[in-house]
Amino acid sequence: MATYSDCLKGEGTFMFNVVSKKTPRLDAEAKVKGLEKFASDIALPGMLYAVVLRSPYPHAEILRIDTSEAEAMGAVCLTPDDVPDVLYNERGVSIPAKTYRDRRVLPRKARHYGEAIAAVAAESEELAWKALKALKVEYKVLPPVLDPIKAIEPESAQLYERVFFGEEEIAIKNNIACEREITVGDADKAIASSDFVVEEEYELPRVYHFQLETKSAVCNPEPDGSLTIWCTTQSIHNVRILIGSIFGIPLSKVNVKKIPVGGSFGSSIQMNSIIPICAALALKAHRPVKLVSSREEDMYDHCKYPSRIRLRVGVNKDMSIQGVEAEVLVDIGAHQIQAYPLLGSMAGWLVSLYKWKNIKYRSRAIYTNKVPACAMQGYGNPQMNFAVESHVDLICEKCGFDPIEFRLKNHVGIGDEFWGQGPTVRSIIKSCGLEESLKTGSELINWKERGHPINKTGRYRRGIGLARGFHTSSAGAPGPAEVIDYSGATVKVNEDGSVDVLTAVMDLGGGTWDAIAKIVAEVLGLPLEKVSLSPVDTRTTVYDVCTHASRGVFAGGGAAYKAAQEVKRKILEVSSVFLQEHPENLELVFDPKRNDAVIRPKGVPFKSMTLGEVARNAMVTGLGSIAATVSFRQKTCPPSFVTNFVEVEVDTFTGIVKLLRAVCIADCGTPINPDGVKGQLIGSLARYGGYALCEETEYSEQGRLKCEGFITDNKIFTTEEMPFLNNIVVHFTNTYEPTGPLGAKGIGEAAGNSVASAIANAVYNAIGIRFTRLPITPEKVLEALRGKEA
Amino acid sequence: MRDKLINLKINGKKYQITVKSNTLLLNLLRELGYTDPKYGCGIGECGACSVLLDGQLTLSCLTLAISCDNKEVITAAGLSEKDQLHPLAQSLIEHAAIQCGFCTPGMIIAGKSLLDKNPNPTEEDVRQYLRGNLCRCTGYAPIVEAVLDQARKSKS
Amino acid sequence: MNTNTKILPLEFEYYEPENLDEALELLSRFKERARIIAGGTDLLVKMKRELLKPEVLISLSRISNLKYIDEGEGSLRIGAGTPLSEIENNPTVERSYSALFEAVRSMAAPAIRNMGTIGGNLANASPACDTAPPLLVYGSSLKIKSKGNERVVPLEEFFLGPGITVLSPEELIAEIQISQSEPPKGSAFLKLGRVSADIAKINVAVYLKREGKRCSCCRIAFGSVAPTPLRIYQAEKMAEGEIFEEQVIKKVALECQKQIKPIDDVRSSKDYRVWVSAILAEEALKAAWLRSEGSL
Repeated sequence: MATYSDCLKGEGTFMFNVVSKKTPRLDAEAKVKGLEKFASDIALPGMLYAVVLRSPYPHAEILRIDTSEAEAMGAVCLTPDDVPDVLYNERGVSIPAKTYRDRRVLPRKARHYGEAIAAVAAESEELAWKALKALKVEYKVLPPVLDPIKAIEPESAQLYERVFFGEEEIAIKNNIACEREITVGDADKAIASSDFVVEEEYELPRVYHFQLETKSAVCNPEPDGSLTIWCTTQSIHNVRILIGSIFGIPLSKVNVKKIPVGGSFGSSIQMNSIIPICAALALKAHRPVKLVSSREEDMYDHCKYPSRIRLRVGVNKDMSIQGVEAEVLVDIGAHQIQAYPLLGSMAGWLVSLYKWKNIKYRSRAIYTNKVPACAMQGYGNPQMNFAVESHVDLICEKCGFDPIEFRLKNHVGIGDEFWGQGPTVRSIIKSCGLEESLKTGSELINWKERGHPINKTGRYRRGIGLARGFHTSSAGAPGPAEVIDYSGATVKVNEDGSVDVLTAVMDLGGGTWDAIAKIVAEVLGLPLEKVSLSPVDTRTTVYDVCTHASRGVFAGGGAAYKAAQEVKRKILEVSSVFLQEHPENLELVFDPKRNDAVIRPKGVPFKSMTLGEVARNAMVTGLGSIAATVSFRQKTCPPSFVTNFVEVEVDTFTGIVKLLRAVCIADCGTPINPDGVKGQLIGSLARYGGYALCEETEYSEQGRLKCEGFITDNKIFTTEEMPFLNNIVVHFTNTYEPTGPLGAKGIGEAAGNSVASAIANAVYNAIGIRFTRLPITPEKVLEALRGKEA
Repeated sequence: MRDKLINLKINGKKYQITVKSNTLLLNLLRELGYTDPKYGCGIGECGACSVLLDGQLTLSCLTLAISCDNKEVITAAGLSEKDQLHPLAQSLIEHAAIQCGFCTPGMIIAGKSLLDKNPNPTEEDVRQYLRGNLCRCTGYAPIVEAVLDQARKSKS
Repeated sequence: MNTNTKILPLEFEYYEPENLDEALELLSRFKERARIIAGGTDLLVKMKRELLKPEVLISLSRISNLKYIDEGEGSLRIGAGTPLSEIENNPTVERSYSALFEAVRSMAAPAIRNMGTIGGNLANASPACDTAPPLLVYGSSLKIKSKGNERVVPLEEFFLGPGITVLSPEELIAEIQISQSEPPKGSAFLKLGRVSADIAKINVAVYLKREGKRCSCCRIAFGSVAPTPLRIYQAEKMAEGEIFEEQVIKKVALECQKQIKPIDDVRSSKDYRVWVSAILAEEALKAAWLRSEGSL
């Protein structure tokens, strides 16, 4: 059996020099030495420290804030009166016409416990905190709405009266933030006439991202009237555009620095709520201001979308699906960050899993007085995947189908349409490694020997489960859609033949920057060490929408690929002058002997120049710099298919479920960074192992987190919850995506979407109990086991 | 006393510095420019602020700076020389055990502390020893592998 | 919300006495305004969370004669300022005080065990305290000192409620005294948490003395099932004098289940704790019995 260390891919990848080779991370040395500067590490001379006053009530009007005492202590104070009267939406991905805006930099009404309502900045954090405690706030406490089902009853308190949808002001009724319905064919009729109808409801918890770096920002008002920002974000350009529009600053005067992020997992797709607060304080104080969230503040800032999903599926005896009816309810908390596109995307994840033929999809997003939910690795996909992949096993169990055969027969694959980001982002699938994944995975885990729960006895019972999923690569589509998706890059050849790459794409830790450098090196025939990613900002880069939707490599790398191709064309053009050959007769290749890029007439290896020689000659002869900038949109959104097989052990005496073994099989096209792909897959085992087994942020009746924001009571996997090294197997399928840069697709989110589903299916295989609600805690397992006995 | 002049050696460099009674070692280090220990939770649950204090694995977020008079602190930055990486740091790179890098300095300190005490750890030993250092990116496996591999290498 | 765990916002006087008398002098001077800081792993968290607001902290870090593990004939005296990791690494503890060893091993992570002390763990008086059940079943006592005074309190009488003990503001724990009878004997500790490094959902320690096939002495203590760590006398009595076999063990374990009074909280539920208490008790009884070289 293959082990953790083996994850090689077949022949296809050996045509590359740099891509798909194992290389040390470009930022590795800085990171192991601890010299990498994250937003929270930035310190400027004369900097003030900011802290935020957060609501002690889940729902309360802010009547008055008395800052006099705090100001007397020398603090700069910020209240709702000090911020622009602008409603914004923090996520600049949807087109404006499809964007809901319900948020103010500091609100006049707190809509969740821990919502920022005022802030102060002072010479030290201690002084700022003292001043914060001196703020006097008068609240009008309102009844909180915590349960999304009760929220839609007319007598419930209302979080909002009116919000904006695009430029239109709309009324919010019964706390329904938004709704989406999608119909294909006649699902009711199709289901009614099916041989079998299987119905179940699934519930997914509210979990916290738990990125290691808490949300942080440093803002510096510059002498020229501009504002420089260092912050935790997945999109520097989104921060620039929002800060510019909220504060009325021309975009040329807002400069957001590209810096590393200490993990994100979706929590910084949107501009974090603390960034405009920090900016407003800096503008008010005319001083640099630093604002670092405490962990407890951070936990009161964002979480994953909790979802209830009811599925009703009609299937015939020949294993063909006839139709699906899906009802989705999402408790989005106090603000609509991206609920509307989420509901569309969840429909897309459903539609793209299986050939349902007839679809009736109804979804609602509900406001409650809880922490606002946002994207978290998968954007509704892990939720939908859990429901569907649990349901598929349920169907197979009830109808006596083989779970692998059923999936092979009904899955959406090559030639089928895929919805990458809701109904307006669609493209045709051109690469799919699912069949190979199911075959290889079932062999690696020994699927055939998994047995049936009825035959399993004893205290410790093992079970094997399978689930398959996918995620989009970008939100690219042939035409305009509801979401913005394009990227850009500048590639320039230096006078010694080394190359600089300027890209606004963020690396959240997954290795996107390495992938971009490798793609450029591959195209230009260079060794990786000759390609550098420049430290850049919004002033020096063209727009990239965001590192989200698993688009870093596919779209960001795609733009870099395009720019490198353009530079390659120019190199050949310039070289033609020196080599006295028509550019079309020249080739740019990697010369392993010289470990450099060389330009030579095709088939004439001895008459060659290195890229450095060409660049220097171009300088000396005044031909100029060889460089290109592109703005590039991917026209497709190819899915990466990931399949998870896991083995669990259930202790039937204590209810504890252990993740013993995992086989993760990825079809991401060409793995540009094999280590990076592996890292995503194994990291996802830990994150979604926690999602399946232990993570949830629960609320008290008073609308406070039961863990109070302290991680003591918000457990994620540690080293000891993971399977042992020899029990983790990673495998890449042999696929090549024709529309991706050098055959690559995304992997970040695909890596996680089916993990929890596979774990739940494995638990069923161990003890014959299907858990429809995550997390599967020992408490729930024991209760279910005792219920079964009784 | 509410403040005190303390002698502190940080990564080999000597400091004489007045600290307040409520100054946390983590914040003192970061103010002095040693930003490799990170704030992750402030309550001793994540390990991102790990340092060696007189050779002992210690959480600097729950250590009063005033209690560190005449002590020696080593952070991850102090383990690697300018052009010579600490072998464990090198091993983490080779095993692709770094993603976002925020937990990395604490992880290296904890890993070094383990290998100092137990140069021959089993996989189980490494899992137990590192369980207080949370990482949300890697799933830990490459980190555990890097520590084990480093132990193997220094043996041969 | 009220906290900022990035800093320690409270201001306080800090003392680092060189010896115990000096510490006791300071305690008698400041009384309830002061708190002893040992490892700080519980105290500073409580201060950051504003659950405690001492005006004075008296550190024990410089008092070397509070850090010791002295072995006597069937007894152990541990200085209250001894870090948990030193207890964990003590060969005698590992060999002869299995329940204590396992309890310390189960706690948090190595850094916390380097910092936290056994005295601090007890004085913190968490209902989930991991060192309490083993020390209770060993029949431990605490040497408690104040200026000019010393008293020895059985650990069973030490805890009064969550965070509350018999310690007066002028007192501190100086020493933990453990005595065990001669072999054959055995002890064991078990704990369930949400993940490996966690506060106990429930924990249990058992100490047994064996005479042939019979159990001559049985002590059982649970944590996280009541406002304080709890001895289960009724269950112990059912074991004593009995031939130790499967049925007896089950009966004793079920008695434990009857006696505990857990609650629902953020870490687990009342029902779960009640249910698994019998499982844990049974396993711990068996493990301790096997360690006493009894057969099953």
